[in-house]
Amino acid sequence: MQDVAPQAVQFIDLNSITVLFLFVVGFIGGLVSGFIGSGGAFVLTPGMMSLGVPGAVAVASNMCHKFPKALVGAYKRWKYGQVDIKLGLIMAASAGVGVQVGILIQEYILNKWGQAGSNLYVSLSFVVVLVVVGGYVFYDAWKISRSGGGEQVASLARYLQKINLPPMVHFKTADVRISVWFTLPIGFATGMLAATIAVGGFIGVPGMIYVLGASGLVASATELVIAFVMGFGGTVKWAINGMVDIRLTLIILAGSLLGVQLGAIGTTYVKEHMIKIVMGSIMLIVAVSRGLAVPVYLNDLEVISLSGTLVAWLKGMSFIIMCIALGVGAIIILGSMWKAKRSEETLEPEYLTD
Amino acid sequence: MLRELMKKLWPKRIGKTEPADGAASSEGNPNGGQGGATPLRAQPEIKRKILVAVRGLTVSPGVLDYAAQLAQRLDYDLLVLNLKPAPPPEKKFSLYQKYLEEKFAGQARAAWSEVQGQLVGRGISYRQMARFGEVGQAVADLCQEFRRIDFVITDGLKDEEITGKIPLPVFSITGYQGEMVMAKKQGRLELTSWGKTAVFGGLTAALYAAVFLNGGTVMSYFTLGGWYAALPIATVFVFSFVHGTFAHHLWEALGIEAPRKATQPRPAAKRPIRRQRPRAQLRLKS
Repeated sequence: MQDVAPQAVQFIDLNSITVLFLFVVGFIGGLVSGFIGSGGAFVLTPGMMSLGVPGAVAVASNMCHKFPKALVGAYKRWKYGQVDIKLGLIMAASAGVGVQVGILIQEYILNKWGQAGSNLYVSLSFVVVLVVVGGYVFYDAWKISRSGGGEQVASLARYLQKINLPPMVHFKTADVRISVWFTLPIGFATGMLAATIAVGGFIGVPGMIYVLGASGLVASATELVIAFVMGFGGTVKWAINGMVDIRLTLIILAGSLLGVQLGAIGTTYVKEHMIKIVMGSIMLIVAVSRGLAVPVYLNDLEVISLSGTLVAWLKGMSFIIMCIALGVGAIIILGSMWKAKRSEETLEPEYLTD
Repeated sequence: MLRELMKKLWPKRIGKTEPADGAASSEGNPNGGQGGATPLRAQPEIKRKILVAVRGLTVSPGVLDYAAQLAQRLDYDLLVLNLKPAPPPEKKFSLYQKYLEEKFAGQARAAWSEVQGQLVGRGISYRQMARFGEVGQAVADLCQEFRRIDFVITDGLKDEEITGKIPLPVFSITGYQGEMVMAKKQGRLELTSWGKTAVFGGLTAALYAAVFLNGGTVMSYFTLGGWYAALPIATVFVFSFVHGTFAHHLWEALGIEAPRKATQPRPAAKRPIRRQRPRAQLRLKS
């Protein structure tokens, strides 16, 4: 990467539309991240690229905003007693390995099938992972809300917790005692997904919930620790190559630091399964968005042939649906926060609970 | 004359050491502040009081013990106040509200009867009551009603609820594992949430202005790579601290705060059963 001379990289001129777009998407992305532990990056990177930012600069600037955002979010949620730092660090260590392997796979595909092949691989990973995992998360959230709330430890997690395979670790905040060997694949997959689709949390959070047995609150809060560690490592790598456009980073950060704190506060208002509902909804909508992009890349690989207008329409729709995914997440979060706060003010729960 | 002067300077001490007043001290301390030359027995004595103000029903044993020790040492009475937030104005006079108030008062009495045993045998007079509304208003009302409340001990009330709102010295005590923390000194200049928002907002704006007004220079150095990578990383750390603090105070000032600790109890997962392996034992043949 060192051979990409900084002088050759075009840093864009900022105008009011660029600034407004980055601020707003930063805010909404931050809100979603603060609430479910990840998100926002999947809109920001393509969004910046559509504004004319070169791909590498978009990825680098996005990553450089991600780790301070995750830091602030993690700190806030740690104060609410939701972050399991030990679990986060162990997961982050294995996620680091996952990122490296993910990059190797990407490079291999890029060399073998070119840019279109790489894009197709990324989109297919998006669709498969998001449909399977997002579908299950959404189904589980729906089941909980139908049964009137109350999260149960998943049966897989219960089974794995019973297996005494040293070294066993007790994660205090998550209230989980499990073998380290079961945390490693989750971290690894998180890292691999982060390297592939830039949002590792779509595996990390459900993994911590359904495989390790952490609650939705603790899993989403702990994901912020993983995001911080991975984001910091990635930023150092990109910054050494001079790819970070600090102006873009700071504009996104202006919005996302406001959003991430609001999202973190939001977790204390709503019922726990709301995290799963938001996550499942976003994942399924993003899956549709990336599904629309698949024919475009198949067209690029000349597997199928599509007209130019159809390709442009599919690309446009794909991006719009991705923005909708983020918007839907933000609306659910703000709506449920609003509802919870209103019911708290009007129903005098304190009078009745004591 | 000298006695009067001494009384003004050290009212309590004089009252305590004065043999003539000694008999009255079982009822209350001499009223040194108002006294002057008035015979103390002639004036109805109002005993000094400590007010223990708690949110909700429970007075933690640690706090009650602390208050009781003070009351015993100082020969004060104890007032215990169970507080509830005020109902919305439109429901203030509703029958349901009346029912809730009575229910709360009854529950508070019941809760108090469980802990008041701590005061038995200590010779402390006490009175428990329940009130609805803000802590400042409730304390002011009680001061009117009972007189001579000297200070307030609170349990579980937030600093911002107390500071500047109670017209008396306040000692905030967290009864957890004996840790006792005194409340911030009253009257100290405290920035409000909006004040802090303004300060950190100004700092954030200054930082943004510094970067964007020198955009060219900043970009030329920050994209050099190598060791210059430390520049963007250090910058985002500084911004995340200053802007993050601004965002925190902004949401706080807008009234968006975490209402409670967010962890919910979940059914405990089953722990693996530790297997007992039989140990080899030495047996001696007799």
